[in-house]
Amino acid sequence: MGLLCAEAVPSQDWTSLKEAFRNIRSVKAEFLQKRYLQILTKPLLSEGRFFFYISDSLRWEYLSPLRNVMLQKGNTIQIYNFSEGVWKPEMTQAIESRRMVLAEISQWFQGRFDESKAFKHVYSPGPPARVIMVPGEGINRFIHRIEIVLSVRPGVIDRVEIEEPGGSRTSIEFRNVEINSSFSSEVFEKP
Amino acid sequence: MIRRKGLDICLLGFLILSIGCVPISETTLGPGSPDDLPGCYAIFPAGPWESVHRIEATIRGGGSSSLFGVTKGEPSERRLQSLLLTPEGFILFDAERRESGIAVRKAVAPFDSPAFARGLMEDVTLLFLPPQGKPTTWGKETDGTMICNWEGPDDSHTEIRGSTGSGWRILCRDKQGEVIKEVVLKGPFVNGLASRMELRAFKPAPYRLRMTLLQAFP
Repeated sequence: MGLLCAEAVPSQDWTSLKEAFRNIRSVKAEFLQKRYLQILTKPLLSEGRFFFYISDSLRWEYLSPLRNVMLQKGNTIQIYNFSEGVWKPEMTQAIESRRMVLAEISQWFQGRFDESKAFKHVYSPGPPARVIMVPGEGINRFIHRIEIVLSVRPGVIDRVEIEEPGGSRTSIEFRNVEINSSFSSEVFEKP
Repeated sequence: MIRRKGLDICLLGFLILSIGCVPISETTLGPGSPDDLPGCYAIFPAGPWESVHRIEATIRGGGSSSLFGVTKGEPSERRLQSLLLTPEGFILFDAERRESGIAVRKAVAPFDSPAFARGLMEDVTLLFLPPQGKPTTWGKETDGTMICNWEGPDDSHTEIRGSTGSGWRILCRDKQGEVIKEVVLKGPFVNGLASRMELRAFKPAPYRLRMTLLQAFP
């Protein structure tokens, strides 16, 4: 099984994938993030949930062990920490990095892998079907590659693996994924 | 014999967001008993270790930040590696402290200044390594509170005081005797690491770090 550039994959495969994502209006899911660091014997585990609504509304929320939420609605991004019983605005740390990540995640959930400015994509029909995101010059200092593992459910992402130079990596597993369910737009506005 | 000289730090506390004025007295001790000396090191891990903390930082003006702090220590070599990560796992800062100095492996703005690296590694050293050398004085109060004093360079000194029941406190004073940093450690201790720590820096720039232990190994 080789990895092929999207353009070279039999058009049905790639077209079917794109078509499945085209029908998605909203996504709601929980996730488990495993952060592997060379300095640590065991991975650092975080749990959270996210809400997405086309084309640029995203709530990416960590519930434990840190409680933190990133809200994106259009070009507006807000980050809050839950501390001492209240939500507090996050000091502007690494805001540009986080903005870039939110933009990438939004594109992935719409199957717009080919629209990334920072990454080139390679598609493998699998199973499981995967999209490999290869960073361009500059970003490759921080990210070696990203692998997006697709579910057998059309348009659903099962897992994202982010590899860094030097051996550290992050795995994000999605579960209880709900496609096109309804929820209030307030989830993108208020922590 | 123990005697105290009062030191009121209200003026320092005035500068600090939501930190009250607490008079912290400086304690002078007579010569300590050799049997009590190990108690001066009780709050620090004795062997190699690694840890993950949740860090909540507050600075003057009300800014707040939540981060992961990952630390690995080798006490026998006084070596520490410290990382700061966002909740998503981005490494904002990665540096190592050795006897020869600080080596910064990665630092993302606004954590990329030499002053930040020096300050952060000073804080990590204060939290996880005992002051260098043997305390100049140490002893136990009648209620069992252990008090140990180290003299540092430039007439600065560090005091560690506390007990298993009451919790522990580390005080750093400048040559005028004013408290410039205070650490409160609360148990239970897991592999030599306190479950909760709070560091308050009073000057030159006031800030507060609240740390909760999430993982400790071994």
